[in-house]
Amino acid sequence: MKYLLKSLLKTIPVLLLITMIVFVLMRLTGDPVSLMLPENATAEERDTLRESLGLNDPLPVQYLAFLGDLVKGDFGDSFRYNMDALDLVLERLPATLELAIASMIVAVIISVPLGILSAIKRNSVLDLFITGGAVVGKAMPNFWLGIMLILFFSVTFQLLPVSGRGTLAHLVLPAITLGTGIAAEMTRLIRSSMLEILGQDFIRTARSKGLRETVVVNQHAFRNALIPVVTIMALQTATLVGGTLITETVFAWPGLGQLLVQAVNLRDMAVVQAATFIIAIFVILSNLSADLIYRLLDPRIKYE
Amino acid sequence: MKFRWKTAAAFLSLALLMAGCSDNGDTEGQESSEPVEQSDSKTLVVANGSDMATFDIHDHNNTSTEAVHVNMFNYLVKNGGEEGFLPDLAESWENKDETTWTFKLREGVKFHNGDDFTAEDVKFTLERVAKDDSLLEYGNYNQIKEVNVLGDYEVEIVTNGPEPALLNRLSRLGSGMLPKNYIESEGWDVFLEEPVGTGPYKFQEWKKDDRLTLVANEEYFGEAPKWDELVFRAIPEDSTRVSELMTGGVDVAVNVPPTDVERIEGTEGVHVEQTPTQRVMMLVLRTAEGNPTSDPKVREAIDLTIDKEAIVESLMGGAGTVTRTRVTPGNTGANESLYGTSLYDPERAKELLAEAGYADGLELTLSSPNGRYLKDKESVELMSAMLGEVGITIDLELLEWSAFNEKYQNRTFGDMFLIGYGNSMFDASLALERLTFEQAAGETDYNNPETEQLLETAETNMNAEERSAQYQEAQELVAEDRPHIYLYQLEAITGINDRIDYEPRLDEMFYADSVNLK
Repeated sequence: MKYLLKSLLKTIPVLLLITMIVFVLMRLTGDPVSLMLPENATAEERDTLRESLGLNDPLPVQYLAFLGDLVKGDFGDSFRYNMDALDLVLERLPATLELAIASMIVAVIISVPLGILSAIKRNSVLDLFITGGAVVGKAMPNFWLGIMLILFFSVTFQLLPVSGRGTLAHLVLPAITLGTGIAAEMTRLIRSSMLEILGQDFIRTARSKGLRETVVVNQHAFRNALIPVVTIMALQTATLVGGTLITETVFAWPGLGQLLVQAVNLRDMAVVQAATFIIAIFVILSNLSADLIYRLLDPRIKYE
Repeated sequence: MKFRWKTAAAFLSLALLMAGCSDNGDTEGQESSEPVEQSDSKTLVVANGSDMATFDIHDHNNTSTEAVHVNMFNYLVKNGGEEGFLPDLAESWENKDETTWTFKLREGVKFHNGDDFTAEDVKFTLERVAKDDSLLEYGNYNQIKEVNVLGDYEVEIVTNGPEPALLNRLSRLGSGMLPKNYIESEGWDVFLEEPVGTGPYKFQEWKKDDRLTLVANEEYFGEAPKWDELVFRAIPEDSTRVSELMTGGVDVAVNVPPTDVERIEGTEGVHVEQTPTQRVMMLVLRTAEGNPTSDPKVREAIDLTIDKEAIVESLMGGAGTVTRTRVTPGNTGANESLYGTSLYDPERAKELLAEAGYADGLELTLSSPNGRYLKDKESVELMSAMLGEVGITIDLELLEWSAFNEKYQNRTFGDMFLIGYGNSMFDASLALERLTFEQAAGETDYNNPETEQLLETAETNMNAEERSAQYQEAQELVAEDRPHIYLYQLEAITGINDRIDYEPRLDEMFYADSVNLK
């Protein structure tokens, strides 16, 4: 409990640092006014708008004002939508969570059996196929895979909808697109972790007791091999979020990723702040939960 | 040994598998797919590249947002292009004196919530945008001094000075009539969630970044709506938008990239339309002393060296029209003799350079945004190569848009820069105002008293014909003086399902009732 509390307290400076980095970067890389007004807007129009958006104050003043509002849970209003940025972000969160969970399921369904199989059949043709496939899966860019899946399953065979969100069928292609890269990473990890465990003494003991190979693999080896996999799954949260930016754009999936991409393009600062903040909380929480699950899986791990 | 064979076999199969995959990917694009289904559904689905921004019609300047709004709101007058201005919510209008206009409103019009549309709504709508400087459209309406209610169905609009382009202003973004009572009693927040207008379609649902759904307004004062339901989808990725079109998922896909035209044309049941837009690409040159471009001969040589037709053909896939003016057909004051034509004569250009004293060549700077306009980087690279042929060495500066914009606002470019202006006013005044002496300072420094005189007189000239003629003459002078070298007008490529008849408009508005089911 003390550990949990301590970890949660540690997240505060991390989150502050993130808001500061995002704040400075967004302001250094472009001026929202130039993106909001047409080319032929006059200097006067630009100034009026800049003033009304509060962009004329010095950066530190702007940042402090931002922090003051942040304490009250107010990220400011979106320039583009004229509405509360945090509301916008929370509105999109369910769509992104749906996609992320579905992708994780796809990744687990693919990687667990393949990882185990390639460890058991080490150095066989099958193993080569699986590890080779994992390299290919990891190397394939999301946007390319997404577009290819659309062309194949939606345009040519017309089996699945092209884009949008609604039915379960809409979820299939984006989840495969996003899940593939993660599956590749996890397959390789499960394989190496299984190989390490399979070579250990307690496995030899289990075998020498005359246990069937399936029992050895499933009950003795796999549980232990899971520990590093849980870490990688938690670390994949960040990859997953990065992936949603592209996957959601390709599939017109109305989630946080698409919102963030557009907000960055338009320098919609409040939305970028709110979105990165929420994402940061998710990443931190998933890392923390990985720590906790560790303990469940392996009671020998103690927290200090 | 046996193992090695296995390994080799495995790698070979993997390689074949990958080759197979990529082969599939390659041929997919060219093979014509199944014919696209031609349903007779009364739901019209449009795929835009981005979602509409807001229902606050005064606080955006986004053409694609307005394209949606025109189905929900009405203007007082409609810009009928060559037909002139047509009645919409105003039945008739009169220009009483230089600064006063009266409008007689249509009676019996109801907002979607049942409220009557009256003169009070006009006053509320126009005075809001004319007086609140925090609104993005303020700059286009602050010419209006006040709106006076003369009766339930009659209003008077008073402008600060003579405003010949008032009807242009009132037939565009920001002029959709808003329900005063509804907004005042419920508040803006409610209006933004559940907007109400007078148009042929009423709001049903908006899932941001996904879709906006409108349904037919059975009480519409004009002709009955043709569609039961309109769906505007936001699909940011070009190829996904095209794929939706090719599977019958959407009826209209806007902004099709030139590279996908062949793919669509090769599929039965869908086609593309190429239509002009208001955006004209141009080079802006400094004419001030101290720059080589201050010599008219150098500017003419640059114009004669750039083969605009070739750029349109090779880079835009033909989706553009060369022009020597920015005021293209469909705009008040357009000089059509300068449209659809360009000058190209590199031999003469060499002579001109020699006459100007640059027989041995010269060096010029050219700045351009990178990624702002269709093929902007490629165009300037091609232009640099062309200019290199006659001895003009280009020092090319490619900038990301906000960096470009900073220089643009501070007016710190060198000899030339590339830019593409739109014109939401459909009037020559907006297209040429940057060439007035005051606005040109530090940018082109263009100073031809004759042009200045024409622009100044035309700006406030209430005689429409005379005013057009003045603008046309000014364009002749600009084409001759070349503070701007106009290159080409960009065209929009729209993918369309064959089940509908649809002709995209120059102003990029999407009037659903101009679309017919075949």
